[in-house]
Amino acid sequence: MSFLAPLFFAALAAIGVPVLLHMIQRQRTEVVEFPSLMFVKKIPFHSLRRQRIRHWLLLLLRCAALALLVAAFARPFFESAALVAATGGSSEVVILVDRSYSMGFDNRWERARDAARQVVQRLAPDDEATLIFFDSGAEAANRSTTDRASLLAAIDGAELSARATRYGPALQLAQGVLEDSDQPLLEAVLISDFQRIGVDSAANTLLPPGTVLTPVSVSDDEPVDNISVTGAAVQRDFFSGRERAAVTARVANRGGSTVSGLQVVLELDGRELETREVDVEPGAAATVTFDPFTLEDRGMPVSVRVAADPLPHDDVFHFAVTPGDVVPVLVIGSPGEAEANLYLERALAIGTIPSFQVVVRSVDQVTTDDVAAATVIVLNDAGLPVGAVGEAMTRFVENGGGLLVALGERVRWPGDNLTLLPGPIDEPADRDGRGGTLGFVDYSHPVFEVFSTPRSGDLSAPRFFRYRPVNVPADALVLARYDNGDPALVEHSVGAGRVLLWSSTLDTFWNDFALKPIYLPFAHKLVEYLAAYRSPTPFLTVGQVLDLSEYPAAEEIDLASANLVVRDPNEDRVSAGGEGRVGFIDLAEQGFYEIRDTESGASEPVTVAVNVDLTEANLERVDPQELVATATGRAAGDRSVVADRELAPEDLERRQTLWWYLLIGALGFLATENVISNRLSRAELDPDD
Amino acid sequence: MATQVTTAPGARFIDPNVLARLGSIELAARFVVEGFINGLHKAPYLGVSIDFAEHRGYMPGDDIRRIDWRLFARTDRFYVKQFEADTNTNFSVLFDVSKSMSFGSRGITKLDYGRYLAACLSYLSTKQRDRVGIVTFDDDIVERVPPSAKHFDVTLHTLDKIEAGRPGALGPPLYKATEFFKRRSILVVISDFYEEPEKIFDAVKPLRFAGNDVIMFHLLDPAEVDFPYDDSTSFQDLETGRKIPVVPDKLRDQYRELVREHIQAITQLASQNRIDYAFMNTKMPLDHALLRYLMMRHKLTKVR
Repeated sequence: MSFLAPLFFAALAAIGVPVLLHMIQRQRTEVVEFPSLMFVKKIPFHSLRRQRIRHWLLLLLRCAALALLVAAFARPFFESAALVAATGGSSEVVILVDRSYSMGFDNRWERARDAARQVVQRLAPDDEATLIFFDSGAEAANRSTTDRASLLAAIDGAELSARATRYGPALQLAQGVLEDSDQPLLEAVLISDFQRIGVDSAANTLLPPGTVLTPVSVSDDEPVDNISVTGAAVQRDFFSGRERAAVTARVANRGGSTVSGLQVVLELDGRELETREVDVEPGAAATVTFDPFTLEDRGMPVSVRVAADPLPHDDVFHFAVTPGDVVPVLVIGSPGEAEANLYLERALAIGTIPSFQVVVRSVDQVTTDDVAAATVIVLNDAGLPVGAVGEAMTRFVENGGGLLVALGERVRWPGDNLTLLPGPIDEPADRDGRGGTLGFVDYSHPVFEVFSTPRSGDLSAPRFFRYRPVNVPADALVLARYDNGDPALVEHSVGAGRVLLWSSTLDTFWNDFALKPIYLPFAHKLVEYLAAYRSPTPFLTVGQVLDLSEYPAAEEIDLASANLVVRDPNEDRVSAGGEGRVGFIDLAEQGFYEIRDTESGASEPVTVAVNVDLTEANLERVDPQELVATATGRAAGDRSVVADRELAPEDLERRQTLWWYLLIGALGFLATENVISNRLSRAELDPDD
Repeated sequence: MATQVTTAPGARFIDPNVLARLGSIELAARFVVEGFINGLHKAPYLGVSIDFAEHRGYMPGDDIRRIDWRLFARTDRFYVKQFEADTNTNFSVLFDVSKSMSFGSRGITKLDYGRYLAACLSYLSTKQRDRVGIVTFDDDIVERVPPSAKHFDVTLHTLDKIEAGRPGALGPPLYKATEFFKRRSILVVISDFYEEPEKIFDAVKPLRFAGNDVIMFHLLDPAEVDFPYDDSTSFQDLETGRKIPVVPDKLRDQYRELVREHIQAITQLASQNRIDYAFMNTKMPLDHALLRYLMMRHKLTKVR
């Protein structure tokens, strides 16, 4: 215990005054010497000493009253949180309710809401409570309120989300609320099914010292049966000139018993297309391949669904199937050197996402129409065409087209038109012996990014025997260099377009790159980069934010349009971003979002498939005490080590108001003393009483 | 003195305060005893001889010198004269000189009163040719004068110089004193007997069981009997020094009742143990004590 004004204790000296007077009085009393007090002592105690005891009692009462008065003025307070609790301090209670979709299992959600209501009903009148609903994010429904009705209303109105469990954001929000609180006692109640997959996010969160975190589990210890559709792959092919897609779905059984004859349904655009049956062993997965269907020009919403179980969110998997993209590529070679294009042409002929439509022309045959039809132009050991075609190519690049310049011995570039090149080109340079290799590669560039991880292709394997040195400025973007430092691949921006300069040939004349396995993906990445190609996204996950400006299927939509309509899977209209966030959609529901510009006249909307986070389907539990220990830094229920909060002494004293109780105690003592002294006085006046 | 005694009825009851002013113990004892004996001539106990006891028939083996020839002349039978055995007996005073005996509310303390009483009895015994001695004690033997025909002066001297100083206890000194009296003796115990009656007789009974004749003189000051105090004040025990706040008005009656019960219990136990007991209030004249002593002797005469 501490005191805010300990100097008041000097007044305790006043207690000595009545004692001193009493002692002085006793010294003045005459003592009668008597031979023996044997008989006096035999007389019953109360008749002999009653008055004396009562006087001592009065003295004690007066001294106690005075001491309590002094203590009250000294303004005492407890510094320990445990003692604060004993004195009945009010609390800041944070109620964390898990609303991730795994809480939809069986009746967990109702049990969680009941538990939250019970916590609210147990709150003391002065307690402040904050209600937080959390999944992968966290949201405070009420913040530090004493209004029980609003808390209960928020609990009644709460709904499950389609998101996964992450304890980190919820605990961080609770941490902020508790740290901002000026209540002497801090408490958090975590109501959840305690899935293990959400624990890792809580690793870096520590609730304020002194917080008592109470876990309330609404899940059962018994293993649960749960079937999930964990994914789908699309195999494309062409039949009678039409592109077809065959869907293969993966079904996982997370329960403890074999599921036989499980019906797996393929739905296309909301209509059931095909049903297959499959047996799934416990703890295993099975695949189901459906018959191929013909694709349309638009993106088609496809779902794979299994029979509903206690956790329905993971029983369906949505995705969109779009027609395969085609990238037109114009390859311009030197006259009579068709072999030089062989390797590149063959490499680009392979591939479906995207597929490349290659047109080969010699430099003297190429037309402006060819240029206009292309997305990417490759100058393969050929100089810039002269005349209108050359100008068209320059405009093509400046308007956003992609140009790959592969240098060989036949390249003659006009010295007065270096717009499309990063620098002047020198005569061929030879490498002796076994030739040179690539000594530096910028793996952060999209062209080389796929080769950055181990076993993703050995760029040091190709041997280069001859190349054309390029005099690039110091600030040029060199993506690859030979082992002697000369540039191998240089990027150059022209207007809105991109130019890549490859300083050796694309066939086997100056190097053996075309013979290496890495040649094909390298050629694809070169062209995809120059075409600014983005692969379609079959589905997104609940909790992600969809940026329409980056979404390939939504390229045609005018984001600034006032008639942009976005509907969620429940057919409810949702915002496509507010001020400063035009084109951003928060994906909160599982299913298909439809995005339509009503003014553009487009008949078909853009469909975005959204699935739940399937990690949430893993219902494995974590010991709630483990999570408590992580969040508080101590074992659950351990209140003995509750650290003291760093509140100012004035705040502690003001909240505890112990002086008030001391004052009441002092008044009680004085009243008792008054009653006793009155009785004594009456007894002295009337000895017969 | 004798005139004073004879001319004024009751004057023989000499005020102990007057005795106290005489100064000399021997003079005071003589003053009392002589006056007392003079008065005895008119007392109802005349004819009690302390020399002759009785006649009995001669039995073979008796000393023929004890045959009363005059009686033989009148009766023509042999009778033997028997004399009192206490003639030339031992007489000792066991005098309590504990601190409580120094109390006196009326000018004379219990110690002084007992001092004169012991002197008188010793003088009386000396007159009867008894051997006199004294033992003073508090919680132990303080001084001892063995009984002897020549020890009257020593006894008086001892009485003259005693002072009360220490707390007293009856048991230990009286147990020890039991060893002093090998012959049958008359033992006079003078004390204020501030102990429980059972304890008192636990201490005194061994003297009696050793064949001695024991007389207990219980001395109390009038203030100890009547408790005449008025003001609420602290009372201090003279022996222990303990102080107790006392409201005399509230406990006077209870006190008197306790004292009365105490005396009654001692009287009863004394009777049961064939010990003579005399309660003496120090405001009473000394010859009461002497009278009590002679009555004791008279009873002894009758017994034998």
